[in-house]
Parts: sequence; structure tokens; C-alpha cells
Amino acid sequence: MEKKLQVRNLRISFHTSNGKVQAVREIDFDLYKGETLAIVGESGSGKSVTSKAILGILAGNSIIESGEIIYDGKDLLKISEEDFHKIRGDKIAMIFQDPMSSLNPIVRIGRQLTEAMLLKGKARQRESRATFNSYLKSLEQAMEASAPDAAAKSRASENCKKFDKFEFKHIELEAAYRSAFEAAQETADDIDKLAFELEKNSVGKGTTDRLKDIARQSVDSLNQYVVDPVTYKAEMNTLSSALLKDFKAKEYKALLEKLYRIREIVGEALKKPVPNFFRMGYYLTFAGEPLPDMPVEKLNDYLKEYLDSHFMTAFIADAQRALKYSSDKSRENMRTAIAELQKALEVYSRESLNRRECLETHKKLTEAVKKTIDPLAIVKDSLSYTFSGSLRSEIDHYFQGIKDNVKVLRAHEREVRKHDRIVARGKQPGWEVAEAAVTDLELIKENIAHLIHRLVDHYNEVLNAEDKRDFHAATVDVIDYLMENAAGVKNKVTRRIAKHRAIKLMDEVGIAEPHKRYRQYPFEFSGGMRQRIVIAIALAANPDILICDEPTTALDVTIQSQILELINKLKEERKLSVIFITHDLGVVANMADRVAVMYAGKIVEYGTSEDIFYHSAHPYTWALLSSMPDLDTNEKLESIPGTPPNMIYPPKGDAFAPRNKYAMKIDFERQPPMFKISDTHYAATWLLHPDAPKVEPPKAITDRIARMNQRRERQDG
Amino acid sequence: MANQETLLKVEHLCQYFKAGNFVTKAVDDVSFEIKKGEVFGLVGESGCGKTTTGRSIIKLYNITSGNVFFKGIRIAAGTQSYKDAIKKAKEDYAVKSKEPGADSAKLKAELDAFVADQKEKIKAAQKDQKGCDKEYSQKLVAEVKAKYEPLLAKAGGEEKTKLTEEYKNELRKARRTKLVTQIQMIFQDPIASLDPRMPVRDIIAEGLVIQGERDKKVIDEKVYEMLEMVGLVKEHASRYPHEFSGGQRQRIGVARSIIMRPELIIADEPVSALDVSVQAQVINLLNELRERFGLTILFIAHDLSVVKYFSDRIGVMYYGKMVELADSDELFAYPLHPYTRSLLSAIPLPDPIYEKARKRIVYNPLAEHDYSEDKPSFREVRPGHFVQCNEAEYQKIMAELKESAKK
Repeated sequence: MEKKLQVRNLRISFHTSNGKVQAVREIDFDLYKGETLAIVGESGSGKSVTSKAILGILAGNSIIESGEIIYDGKDLLKISEEDFHKIRGDKIAMIFQDPMSSLNPIVRIGRQLTEAMLLKGKARQRESRATFNSYLKSLEQAMEASAPDAAAKSRASENCKKFDKFEFKHIELEAAYRSAFEAAQETADDIDKLAFELEKNSVGKGTTDRLKDIARQSVDSLNQYVVDPVTYKAEMNTLSSALLKDFKAKEYKALLEKLYRIREIVGEALKKPVPNFFRMGYYLTFAGEPLPDMPVEKLNDYLKEYLDSHFMTAFIADAQRALKYSSDKSRENMRTAIAELQKALEVYSRESLNRRECLETHKKLTEAVKKTIDPLAIVKDSLSYTFSGSLRSEIDHYFQGIKDNVKVLRAHEREVRKHDRIVARGKQPGWEVAEAAVTDLELIKENIAHLIHRLVDHYNEVLNAEDKRDFHAATVDVIDYLMENAAGVKNKVTRRIAKHRAIKLMDEVGIAEPHKRYRQYPFEFSGGMRQRIVIAIALAANPDILICDEPTTALDVTIQSQILELINKLKEERKLSVIFITHDLGVVANMADRVAVMYAGKIVEYGTSEDIFYHSAHPYTWALLSSMPDLDTNEKLESIPGTPPNMIYPPKGDAFAPRNKYAMKIDFERQPPMFKISDTHYAATWLLHPDAPKVEPPKAITDRIARMNQRRERQDG
Repeated sequence: MANQETLLKVEHLCQYFKAGNFVTKAVDDVSFEIKKGEVFGLVGESGCGKTTTGRSIIKLYNITSGNVFFKGIRIAAGTQSYKDAIKKAKEDYAVKSKEPGADSAKLKAELDAFVADQKEKIKAAQKDQKGCDKEYSQKLVAEVKAKYEPLLAKAGGEEKTKLTEEYKNELRKARRTKLVTQIQMIFQDPIASLDPRMPVRDIIAEGLVIQGERDKKVIDEKVYEMLEMVGLVKEHASRYPHEFSGGQRQRIGVARSIIMRPELIIADEPVSALDVSVQAQVINLLNELRERFGLTILFIAHDLSVVKYFSDRIGVMYYGKMVELADSDELFAYPLHPYTRSLLSAIPLPDPIYEKARKRIVYNPLAEHDYSEDKPSFREVRPGHFVQCNEAEYQKIMAELKESAKK
């Protein structure tokens, strides 16, 4: 299965006035495409912090100590805020816990739904314009550099300019066609609905508006390739202008006849084949004569021939050559960069680093790595892009650490002396001295080495794979990429389009009468409906990953059930990957494919939902399961004694040991590693060690599993 | 545990809210009884009026109509139903008196008698609504007087001044005591329901102070006792609410309510905002207290597994109406009202295989019932099991029950 998101070795702490709180301590997990991963734990176990780190919305006092969150080849912990704008909301979206506070109470629902679309639309437009221009420019440069002679050179540059010009014509034609086609489609739908009502004689309010809509849309659909204006313009105009008159005069029969006639024309138009506007754009821009009069299929063939002979073949050949040239150059640079990196590794692994030397090496490396970036590669090599910045921040961190450590140690000594003084006087100080928050210099050096090794490995991988690259396919991809970005420049998200999309979305998440609801305020919605709106907003940008942070905790059982059904349905339809954060195990059983149980910043058990619910192995999971009553529970609930540990002073051994009635001596001394139970099931508890005594799960759980099996047998039998 | 003494009786309780011309019927004609020492669960979706019912009982709202009896004393009474009856009688009279051959004088006399009767009832209701606490405190005052006056008469010298002091104290407390303080409430949100600027001692002692207790020592003693009872320690008394975790805060809320030694606690979703493990702690605590003091609890919640675990009897509410009421085992074994069935089908259980196959039953009141002609009423279908239904539905349910009894 495709891995959508990989979290590796993540450590997050928070600076507070009392010391450093270690909120997340070395967690690893993968999220596969189209699955739901539930993260379960008490409040304060670090589940929300993890999800916020994925979205890059951690609080200002957070420190990311180590780790990676890899999405789409990028490390989300390292990329710039600018780049994050393109991922947050667009690719990874979030549903928050409280639908009361996550909507703006004084802004209409419609505005809140379309806000992101409009903003993102503008940003996207600007972005695609920049991408298109810069890419075409680098392509032109590469074409010129790789040209065998002067004639080829001038031809390449001319072709690039031509491409720029006719591509825009293409977009114009296509946009006009599409809006007409959509208008035709809407007309057809509306007429079908209205005609049905008219025939049943149940004409409600708002029919005038609907008729007006139909009249407007039917005129909008006039386009050469949809409803041919030459043949139908006059008829369409008379028909649509007469609709309202008929309705007012209550001549429903005449009205129906007219509607059916419009439906007939539009229906015919919808069946027409689509001309190729890309080719047509070239012809109209450069041929200097009107289009030949022939049916669309034939026209398409004719245009293809024309385009190929005049432009495309030469352009593709040039582009292919340019791509190969550019990629070869970047490979060449990779070889030299690898050598540089190996050399630098020595510099960074010395006993104590020299600041000047480090910075010089960093400069050299930055240049070498920058050269390896192929400007014509469509999938950006994120490792090379982020390398320089990550390295620099690690170096800075190191030297800042040297300075700070002195201060921190001194302060710590002072604290210890003060504590000792109080103890010497025979009093209880009432506070403990937190361990000194020393920057771990060795760890930073390790991180640097890891960065360099990873880049070298990556280069080697590329160098080995490059030989098999298909440049013809790559060229086609490049042209598609250019076309797509050009389309982004022209295709504006207007208010009307945004509204249309928003209403469709509201329909999708199950809000009745979306037209009416669109203009209402959040307070006019019930809790469940409000959460639906929040979900709709999260889905507005069509994300890959949906993070649900306790989406149903504030809702009652029936609404909770509905919202969970909705999330499951949308997950199926859109192939979403869902991270579902909750403390309610009943909900987890319903939603999750896999479950990660978190405690004190660590994942203590990890497995499929069957593993967790039927064969759980960690005492904390047992405690969670047995503290929850179900419909057959009669005995006293086994609550977990005590509270989670204060993460300013993280315990030395297993964090759960003090609250664990199965704790052994070793639990207080050493942290348990992850023991593998099966291919999908892991747990971090010493109970799984071969030398550990055999322990049965609590009776409440075994009883419950037995009951569940009985019920299932009853149902089957 | 529950004996047969009725502690709280709610009769035809209605609570309407007016917003302009629009009247919201938050609670509409709800009746139930709570026996001494039992836990009565009230479930339903959000907005169905469970919380309003709780608040009306404790007189946070003035009820629109109906009666609430606590220990046999009417503590709240609404007048709307009598007013409506008068209005209707007058309208009837207007129609009837115009009929040919009507004895208008007789009708008029009947009407007058009826109106006078209803007005009398309104007066009584208003008196009880306002005066029940006064009467109760007068009773207490009389008791205190009866106890101390003979003592005072006998005592002399130093003892007399001491006794006078004590007598004054007791008298003040008796004057300030209200009947309603024997009903206490635990609120849903432990963060919002505690004043962030008051230390825990003041929060817990507030009720005592309002009741007239002035002796610091007595207050402290009682506060410490309560803290220990709910599983906190003495040192916590001087801290502020924000220094506690969610579960501890809810414990403070519980301590605040039990310091008044109430007989009835209205617990309004006390565990909904808490984590699973903490939820178990709070439920265990409530269970302990209940055994210790023989508390009666009205438990309002929407988490059905918790309600099932905790309650002896359960009432299901839907849109301001009680639709089903039964013993908790009975309700879960034989849910009769379609809404109850839909509610039960929505409970998530920690069993993935069952969960993935679970189908939620959708409840649509318009499709399920036909109340256009025969209006529904609350009927007993089995001993202790009531359902809101009309005649046709009643017959159907009885047939169903017979069928299942045969099996």
C-alpha cells in the first residue's frame, strides 16, 4: 500500500517557566492511503501535539528536537512557512473538536465556506502564473544551451514564445466552452426537476426565480461548440423570454411545451463531441485564416496534422533534448556533490567543531547541492531543496548550544545548591530540581551526519535509476505540466463558482436545503449540523489527509453516529487517509483500521483494531478498556489510579509503571522497547519479554471478549 | 436499594421559553417520580430538554405549568395550565350562550364558579412557588425555638451567655435555610462551573456561608472532610481551580454539592467532558457517595453505556417529551418506542467486528407515528414500563409483548 505520511522519530518539547515539558517522545508511525489510523490516549498524552505538528500549527514555545514528518517527499518539519501554505488545508486538512468555537459566529456560513476557496484561488492563480513563466524560461535556456547549431537555437527560442502565445488562446477557448457546457447541463437538470413539479401541479414558491435562472442559463449555453448560435440563437431568445410571461399568465401547458423544446435543444448539445482546443488555439493564432468547415472529429484530426507539421514535432524534439541535457548536467553535478559531502562529513564529525570551518563548508555544500537541482524536473527534489537550510539551522543550534549550556549549567548548579540548603536546614522544599535543559551537542552532530548520509543515499539512488528514464514520456509530462499551470492562470475562482462548489459540498455532507442554509449564521445550526459545516470547510480544498481531533466528543450519541458515518462515507468516496484522535474506544472500534495507543508522549501499543480490542497486550490498553462501561457491565469500574506523569520530569523507566498494577521492578528502571507480537501488532511493555511472568489481562476484558464472541455466535447461529 | 418512598414527584411539568411571539416548548408535559435512594437516568439527544428539566426542578427557572413535589411538599408550581383552562371555559361559554335555547344565566353561574376555582388554584400555586421555602424555614425556626427556650430558661450565668450565642447562631441558620438546598446540582463542565478567582475552600464552603455559618473552624473542618471524601487532600483547599486536572475539578464540583448534605443530587452530564479513565473515577466516586449517604441522584447524560451502568431507572426524552420510562435492564432488553430503538442502535461498543456491521436505525417521527386523529399519551405497558403512544400503537405494543412472552 502507498504510504501517505511517515512520522519518524518525532520529539517535541515545550518551553515553560518551570522547565522543558517533553510532550512527544520518539514516536514513529505510517499512514497508508485510504486507511483510518486512530490515536488513542488520555488528555496530555501528546496526541493533539502530534497532529498539530503534522499541520505545522504548534504553539510558539514548542521545540522540535528531532524527527521527520515526510509527506509527498517533503519533510514537513523543515519546509518554509511559504511552502506550508500550499500543503496546509490544501493537502492536509483538520476537523477540530468543538464545532461551537471553530466557526466564526458573525460570518455567514456561505462566506466561511467560500473564503478559503477564494483566497486559495487567488494565491493559486498567482503561483501558477509564476511557475509557468519561470519554467518556460528555463526550458528555453536549456533548449538553447543544448542546441547543436545556431539555426536550431533560434528556432527553439521562437517556439517557446509561440507556445506562450497560443497556450493562452487555448485556455480562452476552453474556458468559454466549459462555461457554456456547464450552463447547458444546469439548464437540463433544472428543467427536468421543474417540469416534473409542473406536471404534478405542485408549483411552490420561488418558481419565478427558477424560471429566471433557466432563461439566463439557456442563453449562456450559446456557444459554437455547445448550442450553435447560428441555428438556435433566435429561437432560444424567444423561448426563454416567453417563459416568465407564460407562468404569470398561468398558461402552464404552453410553458411546459417551451421548456421541453429548450430541453431538447440542450440535450442534443450535450451529446456533441468535444473539439481539441489546444490544437485549435495554435491554428487560430498562427494560421491566419478561419477554421475549415468540417465535423468535429474530422476537424480534430486536421488540426492535429497541422499542429504537428508546423510546431509540435520540432518542439517535442527540442524539449526532449533539453531535458536530457539538463538532467545529465545535474547528474554530473551530483557526482561532484557526493565527493564534497563525503569530505564535509569529516569536518562535521570532529571532536569539537570549528565555527568558521563549519560555515565555510556549509557554503561550499550549498553551492554544490544547488547545482544538482534540475530546473526542468517536475517533481521537485525536496531533499536537495531543504538541505542547505536544515544544515544551517543545525550548525547554528550547535554553536548556540555551546554558549547556552554554560549558562544553563550554572543556573542548574544554583538551583541544586538552593535545594540542598533547604534540605540541610531540615525542611521540605516542596519542589524538585528539574534536570538541566542542556543542549545535546552529540545529538546535533548525529543529526548533521544523518542529513548528509541521507542526501548521499538519495543521490546514489537517483544516479542508479536515471539510466532507465524515458525522456519521451517526460516531455509529454512537461507539456501537460505547462498546460495545467497556464490553465491556473486563466481559470479564476469567482464568487459564483465558489458558491456553486460550496453548495455542492454542503449537499455532499448531508445538509438539507443548502441554498437556504448557505445564507445562515452558525448559531442557526445545531451542533451536528455545525460539525458538518466544519467538515465541509475541511473538504473544500480536496485534501489527501484528514486529521480529526476528537470530532464527536462534544456531540451526543445519535449525532456522533451520523458524523462518524459521514466521515467514513467521505473517506470511501475520496480515498482519504484519516488520522482520528479520540479517547473514546467505542468510537475507535467503529472507525479505525489501525490503532496507536499513546501514553506520556510515546506510542505504547500499535496494531490493527482487531489486535487492540481482542488481543491487547499493554497494561495501559487494558486499563483503558476496562475503565469503560459497556451495556453489560455490572461490576465496579476499574479506573486507572493516579494521574499521568508530569512531563517536566519524565520517568526513567516505563512512564506507566507507577499506575500499573502489573509493574515489575525493571519497569521502574528501564524503558521497554517495542516488542513485536505479530506482523501488525507491537507493544512496549516488559511483560512481553521472554523472561517475564505470564500475566492474564483483567477479568473485565476477558469477560467482555467472551461476551462479544457469544453474541456473534448467537447472531451467526 | 430503592424503597418505595417517593422523594421527588414531577407532575405535568412544562417549561416554555418565549422569544418574541415564538414559544419554545423546551419541556412539554413531563411526569415522573424518583424513589428515595435510586438513580434515575434521563437520556436524549442534545436540545431535547433534559437539562431544562433538571434546572426547573431545582427552581433555576420558574416553571410554566405543572407541579414539582419534593418530600411531599410542593416546591414549584406553574400557573399556565389554569390560565389556559379559564380562557377555554370563557370561549366555550361564548359559543354556548349564543346557541338557541341556552340557559345563559345557568351557564354564566357555572363559568363564574369555574373561574373562581381556577383562580384559587393559581393563588395556591403562586403561594407555594414563592412560599415553600419560607414555610420550611419557619418550621425549622419553630423547632429551634422549641429546643432552646426551655434550656435557656433553666440555664444561668456563664452557661446562659454561651447558650444564647448558640441559640442565635442556630436561629439565623434556620431562618436562612431553604428547602431547595436539599437538592444540589453537579454541572457538566468542570472548568466553567468553578469560579477561577476563588480558592477551592471558598468554592466548597460557599453554600454553608450563604446558609449563615460564620464559624471559620466549623467551615474548615467540613471542607476538609468533604475533600477527603471525594479523594482529594487537605492541602488542595488553598489552591485555585486551574491547578487541577479535569477529573479533580469535577471532584471539587461533587464536594461542593454534597457539603449541604442534600438528599437529591441532579447530576447534569457530570462525565461527558472527561476522559475515559477519569470518567470511571468520577462514576465510582458517585457510586461510593450514594452508598454512604443513601443519596438519590437524577443523572442526566447522553452516553447510554454510562447511564445503563449507573442508573436504576431510565427516562428517554425526545423534543421536550418523555417517550419511554422503564427499569434500565428492561429498557435495554425491550425498547418499545421507535426513538429509544434508534438511540440504542447508535451506541458504539468496543468491538470492531460488531461495530463495522452495526446499522443505525433512523428515527423519523413523521414517518413512524400517525397522531393526526388520536393524540398520544403516556401509558403503562408492563409493570413500571411506560411508553408514549396512542391507542393503535398501544394495541400493537401489547401484541408484540405477548408474542415475545410466548417465546
